Order: sequence, then structure tokens, then C-alpha cells
Amino acid sequence: MSNNRVTRRQFLTYTITGVGGFMAAGMLMPMVRFAVDPLLQTKTEGDFVLTGQKVSELTDAPVKVDFSFERTDAWYVSETTDSAWVYKDGDAIIALSPVCKHLGCTVNWEGDPDHPNQFFCACHAGRYEKTGVNVPGTPPTAALDQYEVAEKDGFLMLGKKSANSFA
Amino acid sequence: MFFNVPDIQQFQANKEFIDTAVVPLLSLQFSDDKSKKSGSDAEYLMSLTAFIEQQFKGRLLMTPPFSYVDSLKPHLDLSLIEKELKDAGFKHVVFITCDADWVKKEEFHVIWLPAIPLTSMDIPVKQKIMEDQLKQVIPTLTNIWTKL
Ligand code: FES
Repeated sequence: MSNNRVTRRQFLTYTITGVGGFMAAGMLMPMVRFAVDPLLQTKTEGDFVLTGQKVSELTDAPVKVDFSFERTDAWYVSETTDSAWVYKDGDAIIALSPVCKHLGCTVNWEGDPDHPNQFFCACHAGRYEKTGVNVPGTPPTAALDQYEVAEKDGFLMLGKKSANSFA
Repeated sequence: MFFNVPDIQQFQANKEFIDTAVVPLLSLQFSDDKSKKSGSDAEYLMSLTAFIEQQFKGRLLMTPPFSYVDSLKPHLDLSLIEKELKDAGFKHVVFITCDADWVKKEEFHVIWLPAIPLTSMDIPVKQKIMEDQLKQVIPTLTNIWTKL
């Protein structure tokens, strides 16, 4: 008898393993998709977020404006609060991201009494001009990002973050 | 930095800047009379530590919380945690907790804050509270950082 002959028992084993394999794949594929999908979804970063800041109350002194939005982190949806430093430059509204370009701490306007009229990062003494442009010789190597701005019913809206226009 | 892959890569490349590890100590109580308060305390500690991380991302690593039940507490040896973190290159190790029992441990840097119930609070109010609480934390951190 040749060794290659498939016995009835072997035939059954193969068939069952085969079907089982299909079933397992059928179950696994959607699971893998679920796990991977959130990463593939496009973020709603292009949208404007409405803040509670009245545009008429803005002056040439930067104020911190908080805004919240929903963030989807894999399965977990959470409210995240970010902020921006906002002021008026003539008629233009400037909104800067407070995230330090060195390693990501939150910068403060006039956070260091020795350097008025600048943003200060307490983490490693990084400094930025009012425009968000980094002061050479301090750790940051780029200017603070800038938010797109818009107005709705007198309130400030913040949009996409992009590279600083003064840099 | 948080304890995740991109942040840890940043830490490894910037050890001279990210010199502080902050370790939340989280008490969990499950009995019917205590679990609600315990859950509320946990929510507070997690929100506050996330906020601290956001403010000082480039200077510190916020580890996931060390959580324990009451009976486990006597066995939680802070010096072992501190040692491992220092061996990994952190100059400073700070514990943060709402559990007053840790305050007695004077040989460690322990920041203790009484928990504030945040549930059902509006986001702007919550944000305001976080900022106020942060002001309590900053002096401890700057003290540690300026002492060297
Ligand atoms: S993170 Fe701002 S100066 Fe280092």
C-alpha cells in the first residue's frame, strides 16, 4: 500500500481542520479589522472648534483660550482639552499653540519675570517671541505652531494647526 | 511623556532633559461602602496626572499608576520603584497620590492631594480645578528641580 494514500480517517481530519481553519479566519478577520480600523480613520482635524472666547474681548495681550473636543483613541472616546494663546495684532487674530517645540511642555506668556513680552517654557527655559518665533540660544529649534482662526456669532473658532507664519 | 512607545523613544533620545519620573499611587477599594469614593478618587488622580503630563511633557515621564488594595499596601516598597527608575536614568522620582498614608514616607518625594469629586462637573469647571491643583504641584516640582 502506498504511503500517499489518504485514509478515511486522514481525510476526515484534513477536512475538519480545513473547515475549522476557515471558521477561525472568519472570526479573526473582523477582529483584526476592528483593531486596525481606528488607526486608519481620518481625524476631524480640519474642522473648526468653537471656543467660549468673545472676539470683541481680545486685546494685544495674549490670553489662554481652552477648547475641548472628542478624541477617539482606539476604542476609547474621551474629551480632551487643549488651549491656545490668543491675541490681536492690529485687526488680525493670532492664535498660537502652547506646545513647546523642544519636547512638548506647555509654554506660558510672560512665564519668566526676567523675560517680559515673551513666551516661556518652564521645562528647560525655552523662550519665544510674542509672534511665537523661538529665541535662538534656548532649547526650542522651531516656532510655536499657529491655529487657523474664524469667528462665529462673535465667538472665536480655532481650526487646523500649521507652521508659524512669522517664522 | 507617557509610558507608550513614541514617548519612550523620545525619553531614550533625550534623557538629559526628561530627568523626572512621576509615579501615581492609586488605592482601590471594592467594598460597597467604599468603592464609589474610591472610583471618584481614581478619576481625579488620573485626570490630574494627565494634566500634569500635558504641562510638563518634556521634563517628566508619567508612569501608569501603581494600584493596590488595602492589604497589599504594606508590601508596596517605594524604594524598589525608586531604585529601578533611578537605574533607568531618572534623576528625580516623585510619587503622587490621594492616599494620605504615603505622606508619612518622608524619605521620598511624595505629593499628596485630597481628591476632589469631578463626576458630573462641566468641562470648563473641571479645567479650572485642574489648573488650581496644578498650582499646588508646581512648587514641589520646581523645588526638586532647582535643588539638583
Ligand atoms: S520642552 Fe520647552 S524648553 Fe524643553
